[in-house]
Amino acid sequence: MTTAMQRPPLVRSSDRMIAGVCSGLADHLGWPVKYIRLGMVLASFAGGAGLAFYAWLWVMVPTADESARRNSRRPASPIAPSVSMPSEVITPDGGAQPLPLSAPVPVLASWFRLRRIQYGKEILLGAGLLLVAAILIARQFGVDVPLGTLIPAAAILGGAAIAWMQLDETRRAGLVDKTKADQAGGWVRLAAGLALVVAGVLVMVSGSGSWEQTWLALLASIAVLGGVALVLLPWGLKFWKDLETERAARVRETERAEIAAHLHDSVLQTLALIQRRAGSEQDVVRLARAQERELRSWLYRDAAKDAGLLAERIAAAAAEVEDAHGHAVDVVSVGDAIMTDRHEALVLAAREAMHNAARHGGGAVSVYLESSETGSEVFVRDRGPGFDPDAVPEDRLGVKESIIGRMKRHGGTVVINSSSEGTEVRLKLPVENADKAETRNGEAKG
Amino acid sequence: MNALSEQVARKVRVVIVDDHAIFRSGLKADLDSRIDVVGEAGTVEQAIAVIAQVRPEVVLLDVHLPGGLGGGGREVIGASSPLRGSTSFLALSVSDAAEDVVAVIRAGARGYVTKTISGPEISDAVIRVADGDAVFSPRLAGFVLDAFGTSPAGIADDELDRLSARELEVMRLIARGYSYKEVAKELFISIKTVETHVSAVLRKLQLSSRHELTKWAAERRLL
Repeated sequence: MTTAMQRPPLVRSSDRMIAGVCSGLADHLGWPVKYIRLGMVLASFAGGAGLAFYAWLWVMVPTADESARRNSRRPASPIAPSVSMPSEVITPDGGAQPLPLSAPVPVLASWFRLRRIQYGKEILLGAGLLLVAAILIARQFGVDVPLGTLIPAAAILGGAAIAWMQLDETRRAGLVDKTKADQAGGWVRLAAGLALVVAGVLVMVSGSGSWEQTWLALLASIAVLGGVALVLLPWGLKFWKDLETERAARVRETERAEIAAHLHDSVLQTLALIQRRAGSEQDVVRLARAQERELRSWLYRDAAKDAGLLAERIAAAAAEVEDAHGHAVDVVSVGDAIMTDRHEALVLAAREAMHNAARHGGGAVSVYLESSETGSEVFVRDRGPGFDPDAVPEDRLGVKESIIGRMKRHGGTVVINSSSEGTEVRLKLPVENADKAETRNGEAKG
Repeated sequence: MNALSEQVARKVRVVIVDDHAIFRSGLKADLDSRIDVVGEAGTVEQAIAVIAQVRPEVVLLDVHLPGGLGGGGREVIGASSPLRGSTSFLALSVSDAAEDVVAVIRAGARGYVTKTISGPEISDAVIRVADGDAVFSPRLAGFVLDAFGTSPAGIADDELDRLSARELEVMRLIARGYSYKEVAKELFISIKTVETHVSAVLRKLQLSSRHELTKWAAERRLL
């Protein structure tokens, strides 16, 4: 059981020749994929056993995406959220009551219903395959089966299946939405499917299957298809273009709506607040600063950048101090580092230093963060009247405990430079014996 | 300070380029008596025409400008390149996005300041640029450190591709919010020496084809 647990789940792989069955199986069993494929082909000659096995796996095994989707879909169904998440029931009088204990019964029922809908197609196909197997067995026992009709029909069905495989669950949404069947493999499969269907139809129609007739019919049908394509192509193109234009317009509209909504929630609200508080310069500056910061981070947000790294945390601490005191706190950071407990201490100490700078110093507070392979340093500078670090009373815990003590406990150092022109607190956190050397240079935040 | 007071006799002629009339008039009121605003422009075309006509010493140039081919401040600097010897550009922006700032510096601006800068500070910056020096805000110094790396130049390195140990020190102090005067005091050198270092860094920023810098720029869609 344990070894089975360690295997990757059996899913159809996206790295596929036909349906990804062999690569999926190879991943699951941990065998080289080419042996699996070879074995499958060899088995196919043994009375079609390989083919049947392949088809069976194809039908029964979901692709990785489908599997993930199914697993996530089960607990909370979008169709019946109130049934699949029965923690609360809305009573007619508007209140929410906990569900009585008999709840699991309808839940189970709905779960089975969902399952049946999900696998309905597969069960149908499975039945078809069983039929094929029955025919094969019947032939073995000498029962006469009209193969002349069945094989073309099977070819048509198979061709259609291959062509429609484009649209299996994962792709259907994408195809309808983006019509991105432009991958080469997709076209190849589509063409193979079409060829199979056409061949099947021809053989079926011409009945006997003599080559002469087949060729003639083939030529005729190609001519007809070509003519139809010639007539319909301009229409199709025009339709396609209209669709594209409409889609682009819709995307633009959505974007505009999103921007409008954001501006409404942020900028317009702030402007209204500023008008109401026009009397208080302090409030106006604070509101304008906070709004500027918010808008900036929205406009220039970098999707690739991980939140929760050191630079981001320092910037967040600066924003907090700015809001609390109404003083501008400018952060410049170079490099970045992954957060650890020690970096957490650095952020807290830096925040305390920023609080002090904003409280006692005048004007803007400058914060500079530099992270490199050797460690992280934070400089907090204000333009206040300065103070004597040695003359700070013992009971004032701000500097002694929150900054110096905290940094020392985590192996860091603190240097405080204070003169009449301002104070600079310098926090240094060296890297711990090369184990936390995961700095990220070139990731600096502007 | 002596260098600054000598300027009083000869006012620095400045053109302000910004698409917001309110901001232009506010800035004009903020600039002190050492500075003479001789022209204004609101679009790329206007700016190029006004600069060619009045030949100012310094152009205060907004990074984002309407008109032209959409290149904003960069386009103005490019079109005014025949005046490069006599006219300097000081970039001015609300945006502190790296791509905007570094793009305009690499186009040839002598410095960059944000629009929230105070009146006396921007006046000093204009005088400094008029004197041929560079003006770095803390944020620009941060970008430079980020792009060039924070370790000093080795012997084998191309001179343009790394900052010297001294230049790194100066950039670090500017990033920490020190004024040029404070940097000079901290490093026991003269203000003039600080200005020389900053100008050298500016030159490297403009000319370097350092692999990391181009990669850094490409990541931010600069080049």
